[in-house]
Amino acid sequence: MSFQIPIGPQHPALKEPIGIRVTVDGEIIREADLRLGYNHRGVEKLAEQKTWTQNIYLMERICGICSHSHATCYVQGVEKLMEIEPPKRGLYIRILVSELERVHSHLLWLGVAGHEAGFDSFFMYVWRDREIVMDILETISGNRVHYAINAIGGVRRDLDEMQIKHILESLEVLRQRSDYYRKLGTTEPSFVARLAGVGYLSKEDAISLCAVGPTLRASGVPMDVRQDDPYAVYDEVPFEVCTAETCDVLGRTVVRIKELMQSYNIIEFLLKNLPAGPIAVRAPRKAKPNEVVSRYEAPRGENIHYIKSNGSDKPERLKVRAPTLANYAATIKMLKNGFIADVPLIFAAIDPCICCAERSVAIVEAKSQKERIVTMSSLRNLSLRTENYKTRKREAEWPL
Amino acid sequence: MLQKLTQWSRLKSPWILHLNTGACNACDIEVVAALTPRFDVERFGILLEGTPRHADVIICTGPATRQMKDRLIRVYEQAPDPKFVMAVGACAMSGCVYRGAYNILGGIDQLIPVDVYVPGCPIRPDALIEGVVKLLDKIKQGTR
Amino acid sequence: MNDQALIAKINEGLKDKVVAITSPAPRRIFFKVTTDNLLTAVSWLRQELGITHLSTISGVDLGQSFELLYHFANNYCAITLRAEIPRDQPVLPSICEVIPGAILYERELQDMFGIVVQNIPDGRPLVLPDDWPAGNYPLRKDWKYERPPEVIPGGKS
Repeated sequence: MSFQIPIGPQHPALKEPIGIRVTVDGEIIREADLRLGYNHRGVEKLAEQKTWTQNIYLMERICGICSHSHATCYVQGVEKLMEIEPPKRGLYIRILVSELERVHSHLLWLGVAGHEAGFDSFFMYVWRDREIVMDILETISGNRVHYAINAIGGVRRDLDEMQIKHILESLEVLRQRSDYYRKLGTTEPSFVARLAGVGYLSKEDAISLCAVGPTLRASGVPMDVRQDDPYAVYDEVPFEVCTAETCDVLGRTVVRIKELMQSYNIIEFLLKNLPAGPIAVRAPRKAKPNEVVSRYEAPRGENIHYIKSNGSDKPERLKVRAPTLANYAATIKMLKNGFIADVPLIFAAIDPCICCAERSVAIVEAKSQKERIVTMSSLRNLSLRTENYKTRKREAEWPL
Repeated sequence: MLQKLTQWSRLKSPWILHLNTGACNACDIEVVAALTPRFDVERFGILLEGTPRHADVIICTGPATRQMKDRLIRVYEQAPDPKFVMAVGACAMSGCVYRGAYNILGGIDQLIPVDVYVPGCPIRPDALIEGVVKLLDKIKQGTR
Repeated sequence: MNDQALIAKINEGLKDKVVAITSPAPRRIFFKVTTDNLLTAVSWLRQELGITHLSTISGVDLGQSFELLYHFANNYCAITLRAEIPRDQPVLPSICEVIPGAILYERELQDMFGIVVQNIPDGRPLVLPDDWPAGNYPLRKDWKYERPPEVIPGGKS
C-alpha cells in the first residue's frame, strides 16, 4: 500500500520550506520529486536595478548560512570587470572570514545531523561550541551572521593585535572540542551504524548528475574549486582536498569533519602570516562592457556567478547558481529505493541551504495514487521508534 | 477560576511554532540558536512545537512570497484561539532588501495580523527573548 | 594542460563548428557554436576531453536574440559554450541525453525566458509559483513589474 506523504512547508527541524513528493510502495520509495519555488525571491531581476555596491548586500542575503560565499564570489567577479586588484592584506582577511564561515557551517551541519539521527545531546554540545565561532566573527565584523566585510576592492575592517590573539586562543579551544567529536564516532557505535549505508550515491552517478561539494567528495571524486581554480590566496596556503570512499551519509560526515580540521590549520596559517599594508583600493563607479565567470568553494559546494556589464553602474545580467541546487538531481537518485524514514537524514546529508528549498514531503501511494501529507518530524519520529531503522549496518566502522 | 489557570499557564509556558515563509535562513538559525545552551529559552518554559494545532505563538520569518501565501493563511487558521503572531526580522516586517521583487508581497502583516515586531537583519537571539517577554506582558495586560 | 594547448585542441577537434574562441583570463575559455552543432560539441567535450561537470546554464536577453551560455568545468579550466537563438523563435535542443544533470537548469530557462527546449524529459515549471499567469517571463528585458501599494496596519500608507 503506498502513500503520498507531503512533508510540509513548515518543519520544526530545519528551517526552510521545500516540497518533496515521494511515491512509495510499502516502505520503499519508488519515485521522488521536488517542488521548488517557495523561496523564490526574484533576486536576479532585482539585481539589475541596483548599483554594484548595493548588490553586495543583496547577494549576502541570498543565504544566511553561506552569506559570505555569495558576497565574495560576486565581489571577485566585479573586481575582474573593473580591472582592480585588492591588496594582499585585504585578501587574507577575506579568506580568514571564509574559513571561519566554513567552520561555523560544518559545526551547524554536525549538530543537525546528530538531531536527525536522534542524538540530541550531541546537537546541543556542538551548537554550544559554535557560539565560540560566532563570537570570533562578531569581534571581526560586528555581526553574527551577514558580516558585510566585503567592499569592492578589498575589505571594510581591519584586524588588530588583540583580536588576533583572541582568535588564536579560541582556536585552541575549538580544536580540542572538535577532536573530541571526531573520537566520538569510536565510542558511540549506534550513531555510526545509523548513518552508514544510507543514501548511497555511486561515483559514476555523482559525476554524471553534476553533484558538487562534500556530496561529490564523499563518493571519492577529488574536485574542489580551491585547488582546481585557485582564487585569492589559495595558491599560497597549504591545504589538502578531503575525500571519502564510502559514498553514503557516513562518508559525508567524515568529509566534513576532515574539512573542519583543515580549516583550523588554514586559519592558523593566515593569522601567523598576515602581511602589513592597506586593506582596500578605491573602486570606480562604472565598469566597462565585459563578462566574467566567478567560482568559489562554499561550505556546500561550488558556487558560480556569471556577471555581465554594459558600461553603466548597474549590472546587465547577474546569474547565480547556489550549490544546493546542483545537488538536487543527485538527491532524487539517492531517495529512490530507500526507506521513507530515511528521507530526513538523506535530505539533511546534502546540507540543504534551503534558501533554495522548502520542506514538505508528499507521499503518493503507487498503486492507488492516494495522497497523504506528513511532516518531516513525524518521519523522523518514525525512524527513531522502529527498531529496524535504528541501525542500518551494525558492523560499520568509523574511518577516521 | 479555570480561566485564571489557563491564563497563568499561557503566560508561564508559551508553546511556539516556527514558520519560514521564504527567508534567507539567517533569522531561522538564530531562532534555533536561542534554544541552545548559551541563550536557552527552554528554561522559560518556551517549547518549540511541530504542529500549528498545539501552538500559542507563531513566529514567522521571511517575506511573504506568492507561493507561501495560501500556506501561511492556512497555518494561521489551523492554530487554535487565542493565538499571537510575532514577525521576526526585517524581512517579515516589510520585506528587507527584497522590496520590489515580483514574487514578494511585502511583510507578513499584509496577510495576517501581527502582535509583536522584532527588528534586525538578522535578529539576535537576545532580541527574540525580549520580544517574547513583551508579548507576554501584552497578554497579561489583556490588550491585543 | 594550459589554456593555449586546450584552444589548439578544440580548434583541431571541432574544426569549422567553432565560430569564435577567446581566452580573456587565465583558466577561462569562451567559444561559440551554432545551435545545430550544440549537441555534437557537448558530446565531443565529454568524450575527447572528459569534461562532464556542467556548472550551470545562463540565459541573457540581448534584445533581438537570446544568448545561452553553458558553463563547464574540470580540474584545470572553466570552459563556456555560447549559442544564440532568435527572439521570435526561441527553440533549443536539450542536452540531457549527454549530461543528465542539466535538467533543472533547462527547466529554469523555460520558466524565466520562455525558451522552448526540445526533447526535454520533464518540462514542468521549476521556480515560479503555481498561480503565476502564463506568458509572463520575468527575466526578459521588456517585462516590467509594478508593485501594488501596500497597506500598513494602524498607520498611514
